[in-house]
Amino acid sequence: MADLTIFMVLLALGYGFGRYAELKHYKSIIRREKEFRDIPAVTTKFPPLSKAVDAELVSGSVVISVDYFKRFIAGLRNLIGGRVTAYELLLDRARREAILRMKEEARAFDGHIIFNVKLETSSIHKGRKNGVGAVEVMAYGTVLIKQ
Amino acid sequence: MEYSNPKIPEGINASTQHPLKEFFLLTGGVLGGVLIVVVVLTLLADRLAVYIPFESEMQLVTRVTDGIPAEGAEPLPIESYLNGLADQIAAEEGLPPEMQLTVHYVDDDLVNAFATLGGHIFMFRGLLEKLPNENAVAMVLAHEIAHIKYRHPIRSMGRGIIFGLAITMVSSTLGNAMTDQVLANTGGVTVLKFSRDQEREADQTALNALYRRYGHVDGADLLFKVLQQQEREGEALQMPEFFSTHPLSEHRIDDIHTFQAEHATATDVATVPLPDQFVAWLIPAETEKTD
Repeated sequence: MADLTIFMVLLALGYGFGRYAELKHYKSIIRREKEFRDIPAVTTKFPPLSKAVDAELVSGSVVISVDYFKRFIAGLRNLIGGRVTAYELLLDRARREAILRMKEEARAFDGHIIFNVKLETSSIHKGRKNGVGAVEVMAYGTVLIKQ
Repeated sequence: MEYSNPKIPEGINASTQHPLKEFFLLTGGVLGGVLIVVVVLTLLADRLAVYIPFESEMQLVTRVTDGIPAEGAEPLPIESYLNGLADQIAAEEGLPPEMQLTVHYVDDDLVNAFATLGGHIFMFRGLLEKLPNENAVAMVLAHEIAHIKYRHPIRSMGRGIIFGLAITMVSSTLGNAMTDQVLANTGGVTVLKFSRDQEREADQTALNALYRRYGHVDGADLLFKVLQQQEREGEALQMPEFFSTHPLSEHRIDDIHTFQAEHATATDVATVPLPDQFVAWLIPAETEKTD
């Protein structure tokens, strides 16, 4: 019984804090996406060449941990299959945050557009029994700066 | 060429469904599924374990215990008495002749008695000290013999093995230690229900045997009154019935009283006293020697 109680508490804590952080993060993401809309990040490899621009490498990376609640749901999902929506949300947040940080760097360079954007994802910490602990998403690209 | 990053529509890459909805669907579905699988598997194991010959069960015990308690060792006087009583009760219960009973005396304060594989019954000093007459001792023995008659020990073992196997197979796909724990607890509660049914079955058989032997079942409820006393004094932890291996003592006493009401005894009932040396027999052999 005792371990079941501890488990329920951990689950509730995981849900409470995880959900709070998630909603707060999404609010911030949506606000900042609007703020950085003037620096488009595109995947086109070849920018229109012009001698009037400088180019710099910019990158943004983020590490987000999985909460206890998400890990539990994903564990049950492993049994029956299907969309792991808990992790989908986590990765969506991480990707958008990484792009935003990259844009922040671009703004520091006074850049106006980022070309050849690429995203890398990795789980940086394997939890017990190879469970996912935290994910890292890195976004990088080439920013063009008007001279 | 114009490049732009328009506002991203929400809910495409990530679901906008409330996470608790998924949580309840998943836990309900998976735990319900585990429950069904465990019930079906353990029922099968329970039914099939009866077909293991008693002889094999005895061989299994000899192999595991490696001759403990020592073969050929002189039985204690208390063991001779208990074995004699057990054989008479076994006859009343119609125990098949191939099922050999061996009653062991354990010099320990524990208020307990149990039957295990191979027809071995263990009686603890702590319990025997608290029983005032032969009828009460006979009730304990009759209850344990009934377990052996219905092959409860090997059926429990069969269920335990199947249950453990099922949980291990499920949890190996999960990779979350706590999820394993929840699954094991869910299944464990199911197994306890079987256990309680077995206790009730053993109680009823024991009462019938006592009724045939003494003509009444007076003194049969003493065992459970002792257990109840233990629970009240806090020496034994009382759990809600759902989480317990045994039915609540008060329910078991009620069942005995129902039995008494159904089987009216015409003659004046009297309990059989224990042999005079009984208390002396309970004293451990070592202290006897030093005296």
